[in-house]
Amino acid sequence: MPVAISQEDIESVFPQVARIVAEALARDPSEIRPTSRLFADLEAESIDLLDIVFRLEREFDIQIPRGRIIEDARGDLPEAEFEHNGVLTAAGLERLRQYMTEVPPENFRPQMNLADVPSLFTVETMCKMVLRAKRAGA
Amino acid sequence: MPSRRRVAITGLGLVTPLGNSVEETWRALLEGRSAIAPISGFDPSGFPVRIAAEVKNFSYAPPPPYRKLLKYAARHVRFALAAATQAIEDCGQSPRPDNATRWGCVAGSGMMANNFDDLVRFQRCFAANGRLATRLLFDPAAGMPDPIAYARNQPNAGVALMAQRFGIRGYTGAVHTACASGGQAIGRGLRLIRRGSADMVLAGGFDSMVNPIGLAAFSLLGALSDCNDTPSRASRPFDRTRNGFVLGEGAGFMVLEEWESARQRGARIYAELAGDGNSLSSYRITDSHPSGDGPIQAMREALRDANAQPDEVGYINAHGTSTIMNDRSECAAVNAVFGLHARRVQVSSTKSLMGHLIAGAGAVEAVICALAIHHSTLPFSANLEHPDPQCDLNFVRDRPVQCRLGLAMSNSFGFGGSNNSLVFRNPEDVRQ
Repeated sequence: MPVAISQEDIESVFPQVARIVAEALARDPSEIRPTSRLFADLEAESIDLLDIVFRLEREFDIQIPRGRIIEDARGDLPEAEFEHNGVLTAAGLERLRQYMTEVPPENFRPQMNLADVPSLFTVETMCKMVLRAKRAGA
Repeated sequence: MPSRRRVAITGLGLVTPLGNSVEETWRALLEGRSAIAPISGFDPSGFPVRIAAEVKNFSYAPPPPYRKLLKYAARHVRFALAAATQAIEDCGQSPRPDNATRWGCVAGSGMMANNFDDLVRFQRCFAANGRLATRLLFDPAAGMPDPIAYARNQPNAGVALMAQRFGIRGYTGAVHTACASGGQAIGRGLRLIRRGSADMVLAGGFDSMVNPIGLAAFSLLGALSDCNDTPSRASRPFDRTRNGFVLGEGAGFMVLEEWESARQRGARIYAELAGDGNSLSSYRITDSHPSGDGPIQAMREALRDANAQPDEVGYINAHGTSTIMNDRSECAAVNAVFGLHARRVQVSSTKSLMGHLIAGAGAVEAVICALAIHHSTLPFSANLEHPDPQCDLNFVRDRPVQCRLGLAMSNSFGFGGSNNSLVFRNPEDVRQ
């Protein structure tokens, strides 16, 4: 289940995460805000997300299992009730909304494809990914 | 029957060991400055060959919206992006949303697509003791090469990045036929415009094998000159003392354009790209046929394609690698194709000064032919003091020659037996 992450926690890793995101996307670090969406705002490609995750793993000496966000968000909800044929159910969408509190609620669209979840990711999502991986590895 | 579409060369770009622009390269060629020197990009100690023609003082910085492309661009791809940028700027046109699908891009590349540093990292991370340790693949502690390494090492990375950088949305292709690649890519561009598949094509080639694997490979083949103490004299095509070629690196690109539209917009036309001939020797992997079989067919086809007779050709930029086998085979081919005119047509190998750019060679030398026509000046073969008696052609030696050219030809022959010849025509001689 989600572990509480405070604003201070986020701020403690944000500068490093922002630098890595800026490097991976060849952007000026000043453009990177916690609320910046990787795809819509920073024009990432799918391969860039992989690149960012690898860079974060190296930077923080952590392991970020692929697909962890989805698994953590689903929690104890059975898979069949979370998604159906790759489309999030209403319950699944609600779980995701509760888990990804950094994402504005209106961005969670009904009938959303599981494969489109990364489009929700913000820089803060990456910060939380790092913090959770650090705690898991600690 | 409507007349065939002609193709104008309206933009040129070069990144070569002699200079990082068309002007610098051309000036160095005419001054006879050699770009061959001890290898500086890595430590070649222990190799029998420790010299090469490296690109020097090179940097490539795309405009901010395209900075991310550098992530996918290995050094040789950056050569391509830089040379292509020059060619596009030089032609005065670039793809727009309304004509982007009428622009094509063809590049010869990839004699060694894999970036040496990425190979080393992969080996160090996953096979340090010689056995593949699969469990380390996803272990960040192992120092995994980044996932982008894969994208960076694709043979089509160059055309993909050029298409993105310039917004080209028509036909694209990556050509690899060893040392014939660059010439064949430009020939493909000619055919695309002729058949109406494109109106403008960014065509060229790029390569770098100046790395430990490239040097080891050609050293093992015994193909390289080992004149480590006299690097500027190491490449001496057609000289009886020659003892192998010198590795070079770089890129050459040109913008090809449908003739009438180039004329209508008042473009500067360096030359007509008039003919393209390809052949496959079907002989041996690394040997040239002593009779010139293979190159003969490529040259004849290029002339036929240009509706030209052999005696109209004033200059041949030879493949001229400075290996005994190539030089003799090429001279035999020129004699077979040109007959009595082989005594008159002027021949030089610019590899004498800039080494062999492998998959980029044909493209760079095509640019040089366009410049030779444009400037009415023939670059010379350096280090040609005692021509091999079996290389009995009319070489441009010691200094450049001022000479108005009607037609020029560029030859490129590759391992595996691929051959390409291109024919260029003086734009003043084009009659529709």
